[in-house]
Amino acid sequence: MTGQDPGPLIRLYGLTGGRARPQGETFDLVAIVTTVGGPHTLADLIPEYRAVLSVCRRPTPVADVAAHLRLPLNVTRVILGDLRREGFVTIERPRPVAQTIDEHIYREVLDGLRSL
Amino acid sequence: MDYAACEPGATAVTSALAIKILIAGGFGVGKTTMVGTISEIRPLHTEELLSERGVDVDDVSGVESKSTTTVALDFGRITIREGLWLYLFGTPGQDRFWFMWDELALGALGAVVLADTRRLQDSFPAVDYFEQRGIPFVVGVNCFDGARRHDPAKVRRALGLNAHVPIVLCDVRDRASVRDVLTTLVTYAVEGAGRAMP
Repeated sequence: MTGQDPGPLIRLYGLTGGRARPQGETFDLVAIVTTVGGPHTLADLIPEYRAVLSVCRRPTPVADVAAHLRLPLNVTRVILGDLRREGFVTIERPRPVAQTIDEHIYREVLDGLRSL
Repeated sequence: MDYAACEPGATAVTSALAIKILIAGGFGVGKTTMVGTISEIRPLHTEELLSERGVDVDDVSGVESKSTTTVALDFGRITIREGLWLYLFGTPGQDRFWFMWDELALGALGAVVLADTRRLQDSFPAVDYFEQRGIPFVVGVNCFDGARRHDPAKVRRALGLNAHVPIVLCDVRDRASVRDVLTTLVTYAVEGAGRAMP
């Protein structure tokens, strides 16, 4: 458990410069992260940041990014905040369910579930 | 899904949509099993690191004095198509993590409250939580023993559920059964929302 071994924790917060949460808004678990633009000059980025950009070439929810990176959510959020500030990713805030799920998507979801 | 296989430089033009569904219920009622049964991937796992209030995060000595704790968060995914997913989040069981529920519940389509008839009282907090916030939920009665039949009317009375809240008998180890619970929830949440809007 991470809680019993401070080593990984210290390293994680080292990764984020000691920050426990991103500046500004926190990102919802299912906010969609998308890497923008073509190949970046990534030489200066540390591996975790590059890994996010690689995963998010396909639009990917925040929770999935955290799981892929095996990082805690709030550390992931700090990284995402940094990447967004630098213009490497866009983070689309989820809209209310009532606005996003129209008749078409509803049908798609039901059909998708039934075919499982 | 294999993320490494995507073409370099691929960009998303159309907006992707991840629909959030919560799986709630008491400890040991089968939440993680349910997520694992239906998820296309082995349930993913992440953690929320929590700093105790008043402790400076820059204070490394605080780490050693257990100023941080972790909340495990398990979730699964069902891909409907590229760019449209259902995400199932198991809610943390312990009461002291209620604030995590608030974050999980924000924008959720709805919830499944799993119930075990041997200890229905374990489902009360979840039922109360979703009722108070107006989040659509269905109750899944997990039939552990398989043989014994449960009476949905009794469950409804015991949990004090409104007549319109669906109750589904299920076996969280069975894919078709879990699928039926989710189908019921999606139908109830979407059509219920439609009814509520003039």
